[in-house]
Amino acid sequence: MNHWFKSGKPWIWLTAGAVSVSLIAVIGLLLMIAWRGLSFFWPAPIHEMEVQTPTGETTILIGERYETEEIPVSRLNESGVFLEDYELPVLQRYLIKVGNREYVPLDFTWVLEPAIVSDTTPKDLAVIERSKDGNFYGYPVDVLQNGESVLTSQDNLRDVLFERIERAVEFNKQAMALQNDEISTINYQIEQLRLERRGLQLEGKLTPAEEDRIESEQTQLRADYMAIEKELFALRDLAGRDAVVMRDMRGEEVALPMYRVLDVTFPNDMNIFQKWAHFFVQVGKFVSEDPREANTEGGVFPAIFGTVFMVLLMSVLVTPFGVIAAVYLHEYAGKNIVTRVIRIAVINLAGVPSIVYGVFGLGFFVYMVGGTLDQIFYPESLPTPTFGTPGVLWSAITLAILTLPVVIVSTEEGLSRIPSTLREGSLALGATKAETIWRIILPMASPAIMTGLILAVARAAGEVAPLMLVGVVKSAPMLPVDGNFPYFHVDRKFMHLGFHIYDVGFQSPNVEAARPLVYATSFLLVTVIVGLNLTAIGVRNHLREKYRSLEH
Amino acid sequence: MISVTPTSSTAEVLDLENLTNEQTAMEIRNLDLHYGDVQALFDVSMKIPKNRVTAFIGPSGCGKSTLLRCINRMNDLVEICRTKGEIILHDKNIYDKDVDAAALRRKVGMVFQRPNPFPKSIYENVVYGMRLQGVNDRRVLDEVVERSLKGAALWEEVKDRLGDTAFSLSGGQQQRLVIARAIAVEPEVLLLDEPTSALDPISTLTIEELITELKSKYTVVIVTHNMQQAARVSDQTAFMYMGKLIEYADTNTLFTTPEKKQTEDYITGRYG
Repeated sequence: MNHWFKSGKPWIWLTAGAVSVSLIAVIGLLLMIAWRGLSFFWPAPIHEMEVQTPTGETTILIGERYETEEIPVSRLNESGVFLEDYELPVLQRYLIKVGNREYVPLDFTWVLEPAIVSDTTPKDLAVIERSKDGNFYGYPVDVLQNGESVLTSQDNLRDVLFERIERAVEFNKQAMALQNDEISTINYQIEQLRLERRGLQLEGKLTPAEEDRIESEQTQLRADYMAIEKELFALRDLAGRDAVVMRDMRGEEVALPMYRVLDVTFPNDMNIFQKWAHFFVQVGKFVSEDPREANTEGGVFPAIFGTVFMVLLMSVLVTPFGVIAAVYLHEYAGKNIVTRVIRIAVINLAGVPSIVYGVFGLGFFVYMVGGTLDQIFYPESLPTPTFGTPGVLWSAITLAILTLPVVIVSTEEGLSRIPSTLREGSLALGATKAETIWRIILPMASPAIMTGLILAVARAAGEVAPLMLVGVVKSAPMLPVDGNFPYFHVDRKFMHLGFHIYDVGFQSPNVEAARPLVYATSFLLVTVIVGLNLTAIGVRNHLREKYRSLEH
Repeated sequence: MISVTPTSSTAEVLDLENLTNEQTAMEIRNLDLHYGDVQALFDVSMKIPKNRVTAFIGPSGCGKSTLLRCINRMNDLVEICRTKGEIILHDKNIYDKDVDAAALRRKVGMVFQRPNPFPKSIYENVVYGMRLQGVNDRRVLDEVVERSLKGAALWEEVKDRLGDTAFSLSGGQQQRLVIARAIAVEPEVLLLDEPTSALDPISTLTIEELITELKSKYTVVIVTHNMQQAARVSDQTAFMYMGKLIEYADTNTLFTTPEKKQTEDYITGRYG
């Protein structure tokens, strides 16, 4: 045994063990999030169950089996539920998503396994995805146009249904485009005119001629607006012409207006390829669509966009700052106690809790800097703040400060690794120190700078707490980039995947419905960060190859 | 015992004490140098003749590299280093306050112990000094590259791959590239700090031949550990010991009939 210890093998086992544990932790975490997040998009079978109620009657439930749980019988007994003829100590219960939110009191319900009398998955059951009130589960029975049935026979029900939905979706899409592009542009222009008028008024230059001009432009815009609005309503009417009649689990037939229907699927009647196709379509929708229903439905595109945009803006801000600071500390500052203290302070800055940066950002950037900017440059829109309110710019700057130490430390590391012979070589050719830094040192330190940036991006993309104070919102009406001049609106608030996870998971009215979204969004956030990092690592490897250090 | 036979000194023997201004490239006057509290050079005075090869020899730590680095003020980079005395180039003390060290180093180029090419292409390495001076005309640069690489006896080997990274060259080629880089800016004086100590014998031979050629256009000062090398390439040799210039004479004279006992002991291998 003693010999075994001396051989050093226990040490090898210990170190290898530590590595395996970390590896398992990372892979396990990713697999768990990926599995739970992605399985949400898989078309689950719809069950039709006959369920015995405690009073002895049977009811029909139609819905997806969302979750399975084992529960001790004793606990059920304690809560006043008694089962006859049940011997085992534990039993299973299922969480069923029954949807149809406007017709049933709860769209999720627990069912005890022994209470299920029968459980089938009929092929005719459909799930209808709607823009409001969530999914609807039931049997399609009829398609209406202006209240009249258009079905010639039951056989072509599905074809007619698909065709009508496609038509409605097309009109909805046009209406949406109209609303997002033209109407928002007109609103923006009207607002600009209002601000222009107010600005002229404040400067005392509002002549009657100017006023007339602005007034006439506004009238023109309003007329345009009315025209587009009419178009919009016409499109909505067109989309609302048809309706689908569904028989729900209560056995009643309800007509669902088409303009709210986004999609219909018959998951019980799909083969494996159709299921995969459906899965990818759903994933695609998730990453490309706007959220609906207080973020519990729909996609997360604005959050992806906000996260990436904010991180890129932060990188653009933090890199030059950090590199310049590191160059000064390493190349110019005297090697004395003051420099050492500054260096220690910079390193310790990385240990300050991130929410503290948020508080600082709110107090300093948003209120002081932003408030001052508003008074100087945007007096016309006061008391509505322009920059004196949380926004994507302040978020990026706050996170830039948060990640500054990382960039400084790794840049300094890179600078100190450059052989002094190269500096001397450059100086001996008549270069000044600045020229040497610019032409030789910084290019050679660029892989280290990229390393700093990678660490900064990884930290910033996952940071949520400070953002809640300086710019993130639950739902941003507009992206920070759009087609209106000056195209980048860094004063706007934005959505962020990390905050989205928190908001959907813990602040939404329907926690059960949102849970899979939490996993899916987490998986997406990890994917986005990994994507950003891989890009940066790719760039770094390229630079490393280019500036590979001297090998003799 | 090492026996050293000077071979190269075919040039006329100069009176090193009383060089005329035309014959002098640089003059060192009463140079003292301190690293912090340690004095590294003691009252060094010498005249370096134009278009000739001057070698500094001496045991490790004798101050020969330090002296060399004084000549183009590379010692400025060492914070704790202080100098007293004068080094004259064109009737001007290079340690005067109004002298621009970068401009001085364009006139007094330097090649270091280990090849230190920049992580750029061969072409960009050679034109680095020209670009610093703001020369970006492709035709001028092409010309400079060809002239410098030919001057460093490297042109034939690399003319077809000027765009390759400098690291693709062998150690000896890299050192010649560094010499080409140094002569691209047309310096007056070229300082070589043990230029062959990291190279194999064949590369060493090539560089030594190159040095002999270089003196037609430049004044060359070389620091070397290797006494045979000093004897082979230099016209006059300075022997330094413990920070002092012990003896400075025509290479032939110094190696055959040294005046000082210390010199004799060193060149016959009794210490060092």
